[in-house]
Amino acid sequence: MPASAGSELRIVGFLCNWCSYGGADTAGVGRFTQPTDLRIIRVPCSGRIDPLFVVKALMGGADGVLVSGCHPRDCHYSQGNFYARRRLEVLKRFLPTLGIDPKRFEYTWVSASEGQRWQSVVTKFTEQIHALGPAPNQCRSAQAPQEAERSAG
Amino acid sequence: MSVIDELKSAIKAKLSELDLVIGWGPGFDPLHATPLFMRCEKDVDKLLWGPLNVHNPATYLPGLKGKKVGVVVKGCDSRSVIELLQEKLVKREELVIFGAPCAGVIDMGKVRRALGDLDKVNAVSIEGDNVVVTAGGKQHTLPLAEVAADKCGRCRYHNALISDVFVGEHLPPSVEQDDYADVEAFESQSLEERNAYWKREMQRCIRCYACRNACPLCVCRDHCIAQSRDPHWIGQGDNVGDKWMFQMIHAQHLAGRCTECGECQRACPVGIPLLALKRKLNKEIKELFDYEAGVDPNACPPLQSFKVEEEHINERGW
Amino acid sequence: MKIGVFVCHCGSNIAGTVDTAKVAEAARQMPEVAFATDTMYACSEPGQAGVVQAVKEHGLDGVVVASCTPRMHELTFRRTLERAGLNRYMFEMANIREHVSWIGKDMQANTRKATDLVGIAVEKLRRDKPLTAKKFDICKRVMVIGGGVAGIQAALDMAEGGLEVVLVERSATIGGKMAKLDKTFPTVDCSSCILGPKMVDVSQHPNITLYAYSEVESVSGFVGNFDVKVRRKARYVNWEACTGCGLCMEKCPSKKAKDDFNEQIGTTTAINIPSPQAIPKKAKIDPEFCRQFTKGKCGVCAKICPSGAIEYDQQDEVVGEKVGAIIAATGFDLFDYTRYGEYGGGRYPDVITSIQYERMLSASGPTGGHIKRPSDSKEPKSIVFVQCVGSRDKSIGRPYCSGFCCMYTAKQAILTKDHIPDSQSYVFYMDIRAPGKNYDEFTRRGMEEYGTQYIRGRVSMIYPQGDKYIVRGADTLLGTQVEVEADLVVLAVGAESSKGSPELAEKLRISYDAYGFFMESHPKLKPVETNTAGVYLAGSCQGPKDIPSSVGQGSAAAAKVLSLFSRSQLESDPQVSMVDIKRCIGCGKCIATCPFGAIEAIDFRGQPKAQVIETVCQGCGICTATCPQGAIQLQHFTDNQILAEVNALCQQALEVNFE
Repeated sequence: MPASAGSELRIVGFLCNWCSYGGADTAGVGRFTQPTDLRIIRVPCSGRIDPLFVVKALMGGADGVLVSGCHPRDCHYSQGNFYARRRLEVLKRFLPTLGIDPKRFEYTWVSASEGQRWQSVVTKFTEQIHALGPAPNQCRSAQAPQEAERSAG
Repeated sequence: MSVIDELKSAIKAKLSELDLVIGWGPGFDPLHATPLFMRCEKDVDKLLWGPLNVHNPATYLPGLKGKKVGVVVKGCDSRSVIELLQEKLVKREELVIFGAPCAGVIDMGKVRRALGDLDKVNAVSIEGDNVVVTAGGKQHTLPLAEVAADKCGRCRYHNALISDVFVGEHLPPSVEQDDYADVEAFESQSLEERNAYWKREMQRCIRCYACRNACPLCVCRDHCIAQSRDPHWIGQGDNVGDKWMFQMIHAQHLAGRCTECGECQRACPVGIPLLALKRKLNKEIKELFDYEAGVDPNACPPLQSFKVEEEHINERGW
Repeated sequence: MKIGVFVCHCGSNIAGTVDTAKVAEAARQMPEVAFATDTMYACSEPGQAGVVQAVKEHGLDGVVVASCTPRMHELTFRRTLERAGLNRYMFEMANIREHVSWIGKDMQANTRKATDLVGIAVEKLRRDKPLTAKKFDICKRVMVIGGGVAGIQAALDMAEGGLEVVLVERSATIGGKMAKLDKTFPTVDCSSCILGPKMVDVSQHPNITLYAYSEVESVSGFVGNFDVKVRRKARYVNWEACTGCGLCMEKCPSKKAKDDFNEQIGTTTAINIPSPQAIPKKAKIDPEFCRQFTKGKCGVCAKICPSGAIEYDQQDEVVGEKVGAIIAATGFDLFDYTRYGEYGGGRYPDVITSIQYERMLSASGPTGGHIKRPSDSKEPKSIVFVQCVGSRDKSIGRPYCSGFCCMYTAKQAILTKDHIPDSQSYVFYMDIRAPGKNYDEFTRRGMEEYGTQYIRGRVSMIYPQGDKYIVRGADTLLGTQVEVEADLVVLAVGAESSKGSPELAEKLRISYDAYGFFMESHPKLKPVETNTAGVYLAGSCQGPKDIPSSVGQGSAAAAKVLSLFSRSQLESDPQVSMVDIKRCIGCGKCIATCPFGAIEAIDFRGQPKAQVIETVCQGCGICTATCPQGAIQLQHFTDNQILAEVNALCQQALEVNFE
C-alpha cells in the first residue's frame, strides 16, 4: 500500500464492534469532522485485543495506537472490557521502559451513541500524536534489507 | 546434622514413594552445579546445597505431569512451584517439596569479573559468608554478598513458601520491601536512551530461546508462538524487530505470573538483561493490583481476573 | 485466491469526497485482487447483481465491498455472496462512508485513507476461511422463573401458543406482589379479582407444570438445550394428597408463626395456606414454629388431616427439567426501610410500610379490611404517607426512582378516605411522577376529590408524642418547616432487586447492574432479551415496573420464545472459537476467563485439553487474547487475520505466502 503522504501520521485504531465502532459510525452519520490519520481495525470486543497487537503495531512503525471499547458494565459480552482494561493498563505502563512514549498509546470507552465523544477522542488523540511527531523507527536494522522493500500493494 | 545431611535423609525416607527427586549435583567443574535427578540412594548422595545451586528445578515440573516427583527448592524456586500450582500446571498431590533456607546463589558473571579467568577451577568451598574459589593455582575469597545474584540481595523469601519437608533455620528477609530501585534508575534515562539501549541489547540476541526454555512458567514449549506460522506473530529473520518482538511476547505472557527467579537472564548466553523487562511489569502490577506472583497457590493471576471497579485504574482520565 | 473489490459511490455520499475510481485502481495493484471496479450503489439491486455477475465472470472466490459500515450492510452482502455461490464469510467490508467520506472534505486524504482501508480488508480476506453455521435441534419447552404477574402472563401466552411451560415459584403461592395488593391504580380494580382468574388458569392449564415453593438450583447448556435443576423445598405435606381444606389450620396449636404473605401484620399457624386465593392451594409446615419439629411431639395436623397428607420426614427434592428457553421474571423486593433511622421504621409500631398497609386495606387480610393501628388497634384519623423511602437517594445507594410509589400512594390515600371518611391523609413527596395512561388524572383526583394534602418536601424525622407521632419535614413550596400529627405513618418503600438476583443472574450467565437488576440486551430495542441467547426477561427483575408494563413484558418475552421455537432447528454462528488440539496444553486459562462457560475441559488421550461448545460460544475472543500459545482461535478474527491488518497498516515486511 502507498505510504501515507503529506503530513499524516500512522495511527491504528482497534475498536470493538458493539460500542466504539458504532460510535465511530454515529460520528460519521452526524458528519462530525475528524482528522484523517486514523485507520480502524474492527474486533468483536476489546477483550479480543491481545496487548501484543498494540506492541506489534508500535514496533512495526505505527506512530500511535488507539483502543476503544464499551464502557465498563456495558460490554456486549459482559466482561470483555474488564479484562481489556487490566491488560491494556499494564501495557501502557510497560511502554516507557522500552523507550516508547506511553502517550503513543491510549485506550478509552466510547458507546455506540457517543458520536460527539468519538469525534473529540479522535481529534484529541491525533493532536497528541502530532505533538509527539513520527515515532522513531523501532525496528529498522541495518542487516534486514527486506524491511526496506515493502511488499507490493 | 547439617542442612545437606538432613535434606539427604529426608529425601531418602521418601524416595520409595517417588519416581524421582530433582535437586542439584556436581557439574563439569567445582564452580558449576547442575540439575540432578535422583532415583536411588546413590544419586541422593551426590546432592549439593548452597550458593552454587543456581538453577530453578521447578522448570522441569510441568513436563513431569503424571509422575510422583520430589523437588528440592530454594525460596525463589518455591514461588515458581506455587505459581505452577495456582495455574493448575502441576498437581499438588503429585509433588513432594523439600525446602531449606537459602542465603543466596552466585552470579557467574560477577564471579568471572572478580576472577578474570574461569577456565580451570580447582576447588570451591563455602566458608561462612564467603565463597572461596581456587583457580589457576590461586585462592580467591569472595564475599557472597558481592557475588550473589542481584535477586538475592532483594530477596524476601529465603525460605521455601511451600514445602512438605523443611530443614534448617528460617532466614530473615534481606529487605522489607522491594523498592524496584533498579527499574526507577533505568527509567531516569530519556526515552531515546532507553530505546537505543534495548535496540542494542536485542540486536545481540541469537534467538536460541534459552531464556524461554529455562523459564519455569513458559509452559507452551513446543508450541511457542515465536516459532509458529499459525498464529504467525513473528518471522524467523535475524532482524532486531523480530527479536525484540519475541522478548515482548515472553514478557507479556509472564505479566502477573513472573516470580523473578531470573532464569531467563541467567540462561542467556549473550547476557541480555531480560529480567529488567519482567521486573518493570511486576512493579506496575504490584502498584495496580497489589499483587505478587508465586505467593498464594489459591490466588488468580491478575490478568486473568478483574474487578468491576478498579481502585488504581483511571481509564477515564484520558 | 481471486479477490473482487467493489468501491461504492453511494451517490455523492462517498464519491463526493473520495475518488472512488482511484481507489479501485489502487485496489487492482493489491495482492490477489483479480477484479476491481467502482459502482454507483453497491447495495442496490443492480449493484448486487453486478457483484454476482463479476463473481461468476471472473471466477472470484472472495469479495471486498468498500462502502458504508458493516453494521449496516454486512448481512446484505453476505447474502449476495451466497447467491453468487460463495461462502458468506469470504467477504470483507471497508467502511469508507461513516469512517471516511462523511467525516472530512479533503479529497486527497480521504482517497488515501479509503485505499488503506480497502488494503486491510484485502489482507484480511486473504486469510479468511469459509465458515458454515451448524444446525442443532431444540427442545421446545420453556421455563419461567418467578410466578408474579409477569411470569404468569408469559406462561399463559406460551401455553396458549402450544408450548410446554415449567413455572418455578420461590414462595408457596404464585401471584407475586400483585396478589398482596388490595386494589390497583388508576382504576381501583380489586387486585385479586383481576389476577385470581389468571392464577387459576395457570393451575388448570394442561401445558403448564407448576413448581411452587421451589428454586432454580443450577442451569447448564445453551439456547434450545438448557438443563435446569429445580430444588423443591420440603413442605412436610404431600401436595398430591392435600386438598387445601384448611382443617389443619383450624386445629394447629402453634398460632404465632411468621406470616410472610401478610407482611407480618398478623401471625399465622405453623401449618398454613398463605392466602385463601393461593395457587396451589396447599398447606405447608413452617418447621421453625411447628411443635412437632421444635418439641418433637404434637402431631395434631397429622391426626386431623382427612387425606393423610402430612409427612414430617419429607426432604428437599431436586428435579431436572430440559428446556429450550428461559424467562426470568423474578420481580422485586422492597428496600429495608429500617435503614432510615430518622423515620423510626422498625422501632415505632405505627410506622409501617406501604405493602403492610395494603394488606390492612385488603378484605382478605389479617384485619379483614379494617385499618387499625398495630399498637392499639385504634382506627387512625390522621395518616401521613412518606414518599421515596429508598428511592432517589444517593446517600443510601439507591439513586433510581422506583416508578410506581407515587401512584400507589395516591391510591392508598383515596382508599383511606373510602374506609374512614373522617380521616385526613398527608403526603410528603419530592416530585409526583405519574406518566402512565390516566395516571396524572388519578393523582389529581386524590387531591381534588379526596382532599389528600400533598406537601412537597422530605421528612427529617418522626418521633412519638403521647399516642401519636409527630412527622417533621420541610415544605419547600412554602419555604417553611412543617410538623404534622399522625396516628399512622405509611412509608412508600422503594423497589430493589429481589433477593438472590445476582446469584440467579450468574446461574443464567446474564449480566446484572449495580443494583442487582438484570441487564437487557439493548435498553431500547431489545428490552426483553439478554445477551445470553435463549434467556429472556419480563417484569421488575429488569428494573422497577408497574403492572401494565410487567404484563406487557410478559407477553413480549412469550412472543420472543414463540418466534424462537417457530423453527425446528437453530443455527449457531460459526464465528466462534476453535481449539487447535495439538497446540493446547490444557492449562485452562481460556476456561477460567470465558464469561459464558462455553469452554470445557476434556480428556484427550490422557491429556487435558480445552474444547469449545460451539452453540454456547458468543464469539467475544477473550479466550484468544488469553491463550499464550494461540491454541484457541476465534474464527473470522484469528490472530493471523488481525495481524495481517496490523501489518498492512504498519507496512512491516509482510509474510511471504508459500501457498
